[in-house]
Amino acid sequence: MANMAVSRIKREFKEVMRSEEIVQCSIKIELINDSWTELRGEIAGPPDTPYEGGKFVLEIKVPETYPFNPPKVRFITKIWHPNISSVTGAICLDILKDNWAAAMTLRTVLLSLQALLAAAEPDDPQDAVVAYQYKDKYQLFLMTAKHWTNIYAGGPHKFTECDSKIQRLKDMGIDEHDARAVLSKENWDLEKATENLFS
Amino acid sequence: MGNCLQINSTDDISLLRGSESSNTHDFTSDRNVPAPIYSELLQPVFFPSPSTRRPASNLTEEEQVKIAKRIGLIQHLPIGTYDGSKKIRECVICMIDFCVDEAVRYLPCMHIYHVHCIDDWLMRSLTCPSCMEPVDAALLTTYETS
Repeated sequence: MANMAVSRIKREFKEVMRSEEIVQCSIKIELINDSWTELRGEIAGPPDTPYEGGKFVLEIKVPETYPFNPPKVRFITKIWHPNISSVTGAICLDILKDNWAAAMTLRTVLLSLQALLAAAEPDDPQDAVVAYQYKDKYQLFLMTAKHWTNIYAGGPHKFTECDSKIQRLKDMGIDEHDARAVLSKENWDLEKATENLFS
Repeated sequence: MGNCLQINSTDDISLLRGSESSNTHDFTSDRNVPAPIYSELLQPVFFPSPSTRRPASNLTEEEQVKIAKRIGLIQHLPIGTYDGSKKIRECVICMIDFCVDEAVRYLPCMHIYHVHCIDDWLMRSLTCPSCMEPVDAALLTTYETS
Protein backbone atom coordinates (compact mmCIF):
# COMPACT_ATOMS: atom_id res chain seq x y z
CA MET A 1 0.00 0.00 0.00
CA ALA A 2 2.66 2.45 1.03
CA ASN A 3 4.55 1.50 -2.11
CA MET A 4 1.62 2.44 -4.25
CA ALA A 5 1.39 5.84 -2.55
CA VAL A 6 5.04 6.59 -3.21
CA SER A 7 5.11 5.33 -6.80
CA ARG A 8 1.98 7.30 -7.59
CA ILE A 9 3.30 10.52 -6.09
CA LYS A 10 6.52 10.10 -8.09
CA ARG A 11 4.52 9.73 -11.30
CA GLU A 12 2.24 12.61 -10.43
CA PHE A 13 5.20 14.80 -9.64
CA LYS A 14 6.51 14.24 -13.16
CA GLU A 15 3.03 14.89 -14.56
CA VAL A 16 2.77 18.24 -12.75
CA MET A 17 6.27 19.22 -13.85
CA ARG A 18 5.31 18.66 -17.49
CA SER A 19 1.93 20.37 -17.21
CA GLU A 20 0.95 23.57 -18.95
CA GLU A 21 0.11 25.21 -15.64
CA ILE A 22 3.75 24.96 -14.56
CA VAL A 23 4.83 26.72 -17.75
CA GLN A 24 2.30 29.46 -17.06
CA CYS A 25 3.50 29.64 -13.42
CA SER A 26 -0.07 29.12 -12.27
CA ILE A 27 0.73 26.11 -10.06
CA LYS A 28 3.92 24.81 -8.54
CA ILE A 29 4.91 21.81 -6.47
CA GLU A 30 8.04 20.84 -4.56
CA LEU A 31 9.24 18.04 -2.33
CA ILE A 32 9.75 18.54 1.39
CA ASN A 33 11.29 15.21 2.36
CA ASP A 34 12.85 12.15 0.73
CA SER A 35 10.03 9.83 1.66
CA TRP A 36 7.62 11.57 -0.75
CA THR A 37 5.00 11.93 1.96
CA GLU A 38 5.13 15.69 2.31
CA LEU A 39 5.00 18.25 -0.44
CA ARG A 40 4.64 21.96 -0.80
CA GLY A 41 2.25 23.32 -3.39
CA GLU A 42 1.77 26.84 -4.66
CA ILE A 43 -1.13 28.33 -6.58
CA ALA A 44 -1.46 31.74 -8.18
CA GLY A 45 -4.54 33.76 -7.23
CA PRO A 46 -6.94 33.56 -10.19
CA PRO A 47 -7.51 36.69 -12.32
CA ASP A 48 -10.55 38.89 -11.56
CA THR A 49 -10.64 37.77 -7.93
CA PRO A 50 -9.40 39.58 -4.81
CA TYR A 51 -6.58 36.99 -4.78
CA GLU A 52 -5.17 38.06 -8.16
CA GLY A 53 -1.44 38.73 -8.08
CA GLY A 54 -0.93 36.66 -4.91
CA LYS A 55 0.98 33.37 -4.52
CA PHE A 56 -0.54 30.96 -2.03
CA VAL A 57 1.56 28.22 -0.46
CA LEU A 58 -0.04 24.91 0.54
CA GLU A 59 1.02 22.10 2.85
CA ILE A 60 0.31 18.72 1.25
CA LYS A 61 0.56 15.51 3.30
CA VAL A 62 0.17 12.22 1.49
CA PRO A 63 -1.41 9.46 3.59
CA GLU A 64 -0.06 5.92 3.48
CA THR A 65 -3.37 4.84 1.93
CA TYR A 66 -3.08 7.28 -0.99
CA PRO A 67 -4.70 7.27 -3.59
CA PHE A 68 -7.55 5.51 -1.79
CA ASN A 69 -7.76 8.43 0.62
CA PRO A 70 -7.28 12.10 -0.28
CA PRO A 71 -4.11 14.06 0.49
CA LYS A 72 -4.33 16.34 3.53
CA VAL A 73 -4.04 19.90 2.30
CA ARG A 74 -4.05 23.25 4.09
CA PHE A 75 -3.06 26.81 3.27
CA ILE A 76 0.22 27.93 4.81
CA THR A 77 -0.23 31.42 3.39
CA LYS A 78 -2.86 33.30 5.37
CA ILE A 79 -5.96 33.94 3.29
CA TRP A 80 -9.38 35.59 3.75
CA HIS A 81 -11.88 33.25 2.11
CA PRO A 82 -15.24 31.77 3.28
CA ASN A 83 -14.13 28.16 2.70
CA ILE A 84 -10.67 28.45 4.27
CA SER A 85 -9.96 29.02 7.96
CA SER A 86 -8.36 32.44 8.45
CA VAL A 87 -6.68 31.01 11.57
CA THR A 88 -5.45 27.51 10.61
CA GLY A 89 -5.65 27.45 6.81
CA ALA A 90 -7.93 24.37 6.94
CA ILE A 91 -9.90 23.93 3.74
CA CYS A 92 -13.54 22.95 3.26
CA LEU A 93 -13.65 21.31 -0.16
CA ASP A 94 -15.69 18.21 -0.96
CA ILE A 95 -13.03 16.48 -3.06
CA LEU A 96 -10.62 16.61 -0.12
CA LYS A 97 -13.21 14.73 1.95
CA ASP A 98 -16.00 12.39 0.89
CA ASN A 99 -15.99 13.27 -2.80
CA TRP A 100 -12.39 12.23 -3.31
CA ALA A 101 -11.82 9.77 -6.18
CA ALA A 102 -8.73 7.64 -6.69
CA ALA A 103 -8.28 9.03 -10.20
CA MET A 104 -7.74 12.57 -8.88
CA THR A 105 -4.17 13.81 -8.69
CA LEU A 106 -2.10 16.51 -7.02
CA ARG A 107 -2.52 18.55 -10.19
CA THR A 108 -6.32 18.31 -10.15
CA VAL A 109 -6.34 19.13 -6.42
CA LEU A 110 -4.30 22.29 -6.98
CA LEU A 111 -6.52 23.31 -9.90
CA SER A 112 -9.64 22.66 -7.80
CA LEU A 113 -8.25 24.89 -5.06
CA GLN A 114 -7.62 27.59 -7.62
CA ALA A 115 -11.22 27.19 -8.76
CA LEU A 116 -12.35 27.47 -5.13
CA LEU A 117 -10.57 30.83 -4.87
CA ALA A 118 -12.50 31.99 -7.93
CA ALA A 119 -15.86 30.65 -6.73
CA ALA A 120 -16.40 30.68 -2.98
CA GLU A 121 -19.27 28.73 -1.47
CA PRO A 122 -20.36 30.87 1.49
CA ASP A 123 -23.24 28.51 2.29
CA ASP A 124 -20.80 25.73 3.11
CA PRO A 125 -18.26 27.75 5.09
CA GLN A 126 -15.09 26.76 6.90
CA ASP A 127 -14.75 30.23 8.42
CA ALA A 128 -18.18 31.46 9.54
CA VAL A 129 -17.01 35.04 10.15
CA VAL A 130 -15.58 35.38 6.64
CA ALA A 131 -18.67 33.75 5.13
CA TYR A 132 -20.94 36.18 6.99
CA GLN A 133 -18.94 39.15 5.73
CA TYR A 134 -19.00 37.73 2.20
CA LYS A 135 -22.80 37.49 2.25
CA ASP A 136 -23.60 40.58 4.26
CA LYS A 137 -20.89 43.13 3.43
CA TYR A 138 -19.42 42.02 0.11
CA GLN A 139 -17.48 45.25 -0.57
CA LEU A 140 -15.78 44.98 2.82
CA PHE A 141 -15.04 41.32 2.11
CA LEU A 142 -13.35 42.26 -1.17
CA MET A 143 -11.23 44.89 0.55
CA THR A 144 -10.23 42.53 3.37
CA ALA A 145 -9.38 39.68 0.98
CA LYS A 146 -7.29 42.02 -1.21
CA HIS A 147 -5.57 43.44 1.86
CA TRP A 148 -4.68 39.94 3.14
CA THR A 149 -3.49 38.98 -0.36
CA ASN A 150 -1.28 42.07 -0.39
CA ILE A 151 0.22 41.43 3.05
CA TYR A 152 0.59 37.65 3.03
CA ALA A 153 0.71 36.60 -0.63
CA GLY A 154 2.39 39.53 -2.32
CA GLY A 155 -0.71 40.92 -4.03
CA PRO A 156 -0.70 44.43 -5.54
CA HIS A 157 -3.49 46.26 -3.65
CA LYS A 158 -2.48 48.40 -0.68
CA PHE A 159 -5.08 49.85 1.65
CA THR A 160 -3.67 52.71 3.71
CA GLU A 161 -6.90 52.84 5.72
CA CYS A 162 -6.35 49.25 6.87
CA ASP A 163 -2.69 49.86 7.58
CA SER A 164 -3.37 52.90 9.72
CA LYS A 165 -6.02 51.09 11.81
CA ILE A 166 -3.65 48.17 12.34
CA GLN A 167 -0.96 50.67 13.36
CA ARG A 168 -3.32 52.17 15.97
CA LEU A 169 -3.75 48.74 17.58
CA LYS A 170 -0.03 48.01 17.32
CA ASP A 171 0.58 51.23 19.23
CA MET A 172 -1.52 49.72 22.00
CA GLY A 173 0.81 46.74 22.13
CA ILE A 174 -1.21 44.36 19.97
CA ASP A 175 0.60 41.98 17.63
CA GLU A 176 0.21 43.02 13.99
CA HIS A 177 -1.35 39.74 12.82
CA ASP A 178 -3.77 39.65 15.75
CA ALA A 179 -4.72 43.26 15.05
CA ARG A 180 -5.40 42.46 11.39
CA ALA A 181 -7.45 39.38 12.27
CA VAL A 182 -9.62 41.22 14.81
CA LEU A 183 -10.16 44.26 12.58
CA SER A 184 -11.08 41.98 9.67
CA LYS A 185 -13.59 40.16 11.84
CA GLU A 186 -15.10 43.39 13.14
CA ASN A 187 -15.52 44.78 9.60
CA TRP A 188 -12.67 47.27 10.21
CA ASP A 189 -14.55 49.00 13.03
CA LEU A 190 -11.64 50.18 15.19
CA GLU A 191 -13.82 50.79 18.23
CA LYS A 192 -15.35 47.31 18.15
CA ALA A 193 -11.95 45.71 17.53
CA THR A 194 -10.49 47.51 20.55
CA GLU A 195 -13.44 46.47 22.67
CA ASN A 196 -13.01 42.87 21.52
CA LEU A 197 -9.30 42.90 22.34
CA PHE A 198 -9.50 44.50 25.76
CA SER A 199 -12.72 43.10 27.19
CA MET B 1 2.01 -14.20 -17.34
CA GLY B 2 3.73 -11.57 -15.33
CA ASN B 3 4.31 -11.88 -11.64
CA CYS B 4 1.46 -9.48 -11.02
CA LEU B 5 -1.00 -12.15 -12.05
CA GLN B 6 -1.90 -14.09 -8.97
CA ILE B 7 -5.57 -14.28 -9.79
CA ASN B 8 -6.44 -17.79 -10.87
CA SER B 9 -9.13 -18.34 -13.42
CA THR B 10 -11.28 -20.47 -11.13
CA ASP B 11 -11.97 -17.30 -9.18
CA ASP B 12 -14.56 -16.16 -11.66
CA ILE B 13 -16.61 -19.27 -11.22
CA SER B 14 -16.47 -19.30 -7.45
CA LEU B 15 -17.55 -15.68 -7.44
CA LEU B 16 -20.72 -16.46 -9.30
CA ARG B 17 -21.59 -19.06 -6.73
CA GLY B 18 -21.34 -16.28 -4.18
CA SER B 19 -19.60 -18.15 -1.37
CA GLU B 20 -19.22 -15.75 1.55
CA SER B 21 -16.48 -16.19 4.07
CA SER B 22 -13.69 -17.36 1.80
CA ASN B 23 -14.30 -14.50 -0.57
CA THR B 24 -14.22 -11.96 2.20
CA HIS B 25 -10.70 -13.14 2.75
CA ASP B 26 -9.65 -12.51 -0.82
CA PHE B 27 -10.07 -8.81 -0.33
CA THR B 28 -7.67 -8.53 2.51
CA SER B 29 -5.03 -11.01 3.51
CA ASP B 30 -4.72 -13.10 0.36
CA ARG B 31 -3.86 -10.31 -1.96
CA ASN B 32 -0.53 -10.17 -3.78
CA VAL B 33 0.09 -6.61 -2.57
CA PRO B 34 1.17 -6.79 1.07
CA ALA B 35 -0.82 -4.50 3.32
CA PRO B 36 1.21 -3.69 6.44
CA ILE B 37 -1.72 -2.10 8.25
CA TYR B 38 -3.76 -5.26 8.05
CA SER B 39 -1.01 -7.57 9.22
CA GLU B 40 -0.33 -5.31 12.19
CA LEU B 41 -3.84 -5.71 13.46
CA LEU B 42 -3.94 -9.38 12.44
CA GLN B 43 -7.48 -8.95 11.26
CA PRO B 44 -9.07 -7.44 8.19
CA VAL B 45 -9.90 -3.75 8.21
CA PHE B 46 -12.96 -2.39 6.44
CA PHE B 47 -14.13 1.03 5.35
CA PRO B 48 -17.90 1.43 5.81
CA SER B 49 -17.43 4.93 4.33
CA PRO B 50 -14.26 6.33 2.72
CA SER B 51 -13.15 8.12 5.88
CA THR B 52 -14.13 5.46 8.45
CA ARG B 53 -11.72 2.57 8.94
CA ARG B 54 -12.66 -0.24 11.29
CA PRO B 55 -11.24 -3.66 12.13
CA ALA B 56 -13.68 -6.43 11.29
CA SER B 57 -14.54 -7.10 14.95
CA ASN B 58 -15.68 -3.51 15.51
CA LEU B 59 -18.20 -3.33 12.71
CA THR B 60 -21.82 -2.76 13.61
CA GLU B 61 -24.33 -5.22 12.26
CA GLU B 62 -25.55 -2.63 9.77
CA GLU B 63 -22.01 -2.04 8.52
CA GLN B 64 -21.41 -5.78 8.19
CA VAL B 65 -24.45 -6.07 5.98
CA LYS B 66 -23.35 -3.06 3.93
CA ILE B 67 -19.89 -4.51 3.42
CA ALA B 68 -21.18 -7.98 2.64
CA LYS B 69 -23.44 -6.49 -0.04
CA ARG B 70 -20.54 -4.50 -1.39
CA ILE B 71 -18.33 -7.58 -1.60
CA GLY B 72 -21.12 -9.45 -3.34
CA LEU B 73 -21.55 -6.68 -5.88
CA ILE B 74 -17.84 -6.32 -6.61
CA GLN B 75 -17.58 -10.03 -7.30
CA HIS B 76 -20.24 -9.80 -9.95
CA LEU B 77 -18.25 -7.24 -11.92
CA PRO B 78 -16.52 -9.06 -14.79
CA ILE B 79 -12.79 -9.70 -14.86
CA GLY B 80 -11.01 -9.90 -18.19
CA THR B 81 -7.48 -9.75 -19.48
CA TYR B 82 -5.95 -6.65 -20.98
CA ASP B 83 -5.58 -7.19 -24.72
CA GLY B 84 -3.34 -4.18 -25.38
CA SER B 85 -5.64 -2.66 -27.96
CA LYS B 86 -7.78 -0.55 -25.65
CA LYS B 87 -7.84 3.20 -25.63
CA ILE B 88 -7.15 3.02 -21.92
CA ARG B 89 -3.45 2.35 -21.45
CA GLU B 90 -2.90 2.81 -17.74
CA CYS B 91 -4.70 2.01 -14.52
CA VAL B 92 -5.50 5.50 -13.21
CA ILE B 93 -5.42 4.26 -9.63
CA CYS B 94 -1.78 3.12 -9.51
CA MET B 95 -0.86 5.04 -12.71
CA ILE B 96 1.01 2.04 -14.06
CA ASP B 97 0.54 0.93 -17.67
CA PHE B 98 -1.38 -2.30 -18.17
CA CYS B 99 0.58 -5.27 -19.48
CA VAL B 100 -0.94 -7.51 -22.13
CA ASP B 101 -2.78 -10.45 -20.51
CA GLU B 102 -2.94 -8.71 -17.16
CA ALA B 103 -6.18 -9.21 -15.19
CA VAL B 104 -8.43 -6.17 -15.31
CA ARG B 105 -11.87 -5.52 -13.89
CA TYR B 106 -14.57 -3.91 -16.02
CA LEU B 107 -17.01 -1.43 -14.48
CA PRO B 108 -20.46 -0.87 -16.03
CA CYS B 109 -19.16 2.44 -17.48
CA MET B 110 -16.48 0.37 -19.30
CA HIS B 111 -13.58 1.90 -17.42
CA ILE B 112 -10.98 -0.74 -16.58
CA TYR B 113 -8.55 -1.08 -13.68
CA HIS B 114 -6.18 -3.60 -12.15
CA VAL B 115 -8.33 -5.99 -10.13
CA HIS B 116 -6.55 -5.36 -6.81
CA CYS B 117 -6.54 -1.57 -7.37
CA ILE B 118 -10.24 -1.21 -8.13
CA ASP B 119 -11.34 -3.74 -5.49
CA ASP B 120 -9.51 -1.74 -2.84
CA TRP B 121 -11.28 1.40 -4.05
CA LEU B 122 -14.76 -0.14 -4.39
CA MET B 123 -14.53 -1.46 -0.85
CA ARG B 124 -14.55 2.22 0.20
CA SER B 125 -16.78 3.76 -2.41
CA LEU B 126 -18.99 2.13 -5.03
CA THR B 127 -18.20 4.67 -7.74
CA CYS B 128 -15.97 4.66 -10.79
CA PRO B 129 -12.87 6.71 -9.87
CA SER B 130 -12.69 8.10 -13.41
CA CYS B 131 -16.26 9.17 -14.17
CA MET B 132 -17.82 9.00 -10.67
CA GLU B 133 -20.64 6.89 -12.07
CA PRO B 134 -22.20 4.80 -9.26
CA VAL B 135 -21.31 1.19 -9.94
CA ASP B 136 -24.84 0.13 -9.19
CA ALA B 137 -27.19 3.05 -8.71
CA ALA B 138 -30.11 0.82 -7.75
CA LEU B 139 -28.12 -0.93 -5.05
CA LEU B 140 -26.81 2.38 -3.72
CA THR B 141 -30.33 3.68 -3.17
CA THR B 142 -31.19 0.69 -1.05
CA TYR B 143 -28.08 1.39 1.05
CA GLU B 144 -29.15 4.97 1.57
CA THR B 145 -32.73 4.22 2.47
CA SER B 146 -31.96 1.33 4.82
